[in-house]
Order: sequence, then C-alpha cells, then structure tokens
Amino acid sequence: MGPLSVRGMLLCHAGPHRIAFHAHEVASIASPEGVSAASARRAFQAPDGASRVLVSSSGGAVGVDTLEIEAEPHPVLPAPPLAVRVSGGSLQGFVVVQGKLWPLVGLVDFERFLRGLVGEEAA
Amino acid sequence: MAVHEPEARQSYLVFACGSSWYAVPAESAAEVVTFPELTRVPGAPPHLLGVFAHRGEVIPVVDLGLLVAGVSQSSRRAVLVRLPRGTLALTASTVAGVSPVTGTLEPLGPTGVHVHLRGPAKSGPRDVAVIDPEGLFDHLSQGA
Repeated sequence: MGPLSVRGMLLCHAGPHRIAFHAHEVASIASPEGVSAASARRAFQAPDGASRVLVSSSGGAVGVDTLEIEAEPHPVLPAPPLAVRVSGGSLQGFVVVQGKLWPLVGLVDFERFLRGLVGEEAA
Repeated sequence: MAVHEPEARQSYLVFACGSSWYAVPAESAAEVVTFPELTRVPGAPPHLLGVFAHRGEVIPVVDLGLLVAGVSQSSRRAVLVRLPRGTLALTASTVAGVSPVTGTLEPLGPTGVHVHLRGPAKSGPRDVAVIDPEGLFDHLSQGA
C-alpha cells in the first residue's frame, strides 16, 4: 500500500505553531466576532485568540490566527501513536509543505478535542 | 524480591541529560542525532517537545530532564530509541558512548516514569539510570 496523500488543505497558525486542516472539511471561513469558536491556541497551552474561524459542516468552529490555501497534493507521513494520543485522536498525520512539517488534523475531531481541554481546565 | 542484574554481555549507550546519566540497551539505541527545528504537536505535554522528520519517519522528541526530574534541559541532540512499535528521541546533553553497566535493575521508584528507570547501576564511575525502553514507551503512550 502506498503512502496516503492529501490534496487541498488550509495551512494555519495558532500563535507561532503550524496546523493544517483538510479543505473539504471546512464549510466556511468566518470572522471571530459573534462566533463561538474553540481557539486552536489552546492545544499549545496559549491564551485564546483568533483572527479567522474555520466552520465545519456540522457547525463546529475552530479559531486560528492565519490561514492560507494549499492546493497541491502532498504525501501524509504517519503520526507516531504517542502524538495521536496527546491530540485526542484528532491528529491524522504530518505533511511537509514549504520545507516545514505541519500536523494535519481533522477539523471536527480537533474542535471536539479543544472543547474537551476547556472542560479539563474547568474540572 | 528478585534482583535483576544487567546481563554481562549486554552493552548500553550511556548519555547524560543535564546532570543525570542514563543508559539504554545498545540494541535499542539506533543513533545519535542533532535535530532541526521541532514542530509542536497539538495537545502535547511540555516534556513532548515536538516532532521532526528523519528519513521519512516522524519522530517525537522527549525532554528526558523534564519528564524525569521536572527540569528542562535545552539540547538539540537526542538519542534515537528504536523499537518495533516506533522510534522515540530522548534529549541528550552529552553522549559518553557504548559501555557495560554493572549493578541491579530494580525500579527506581514505585510510580510514574521512575518505574521504567532501573538501578542502582554504574557505568564506570558514573551512577546511571537504566532505561527500560518498552516500559518508557508504555508510560508515554498511556498518558504521561
């Protein structure tokens, strides 16, 4: 079986940290005002904040600081199980774009993971 | 209680992370690398510094000082520990080389990561904690 590949991603930053999403999982891109979004910065132990919000078809929303569209196909490198676990199962692999490694996450699973982090802090 | 002694013929890669010395079975120590800028993993605890791509494999880097003693050790060098289930990079400030280890291999603590560090043991004049690679993988994989 050959390596998986992905075509169509949104390359984002949460603070200084890179994170990529499948473009087909993003139903719309919104402004953060008036949208209840989980900030992707939470996954990096940083204070909430966002300048754009990625909204899934199910209505879940994740806030990011920057985004750009990457249309070219890229192979997906398997994620170490340890890394998948700490991301709550939302990490699907890594892609190398612009010479850098980007964690590729599922938008719905990642949004759920971020909401869970808030729950953990509140507990 | 059974006391396990290191096998006389077994060699260990001995390295330091900060002021503490560790030994990992040489057959599990794949190589010593200088890693590039790391990519943070979403949700990673502080001791999981990030990942880097090495020969087509994405390898997680663990700050051994932070994991074991709660003290971060800034180092761009790491010992790659390779098991059938995957590869792990353990930060290393100094690598002494491959040598035998003497002593016992009892867990150095009752809980946490210390269960997977064995001793008291020595490599030459140095006190070393012998890493059980399988146990360390289990520990990290189970939510440490």
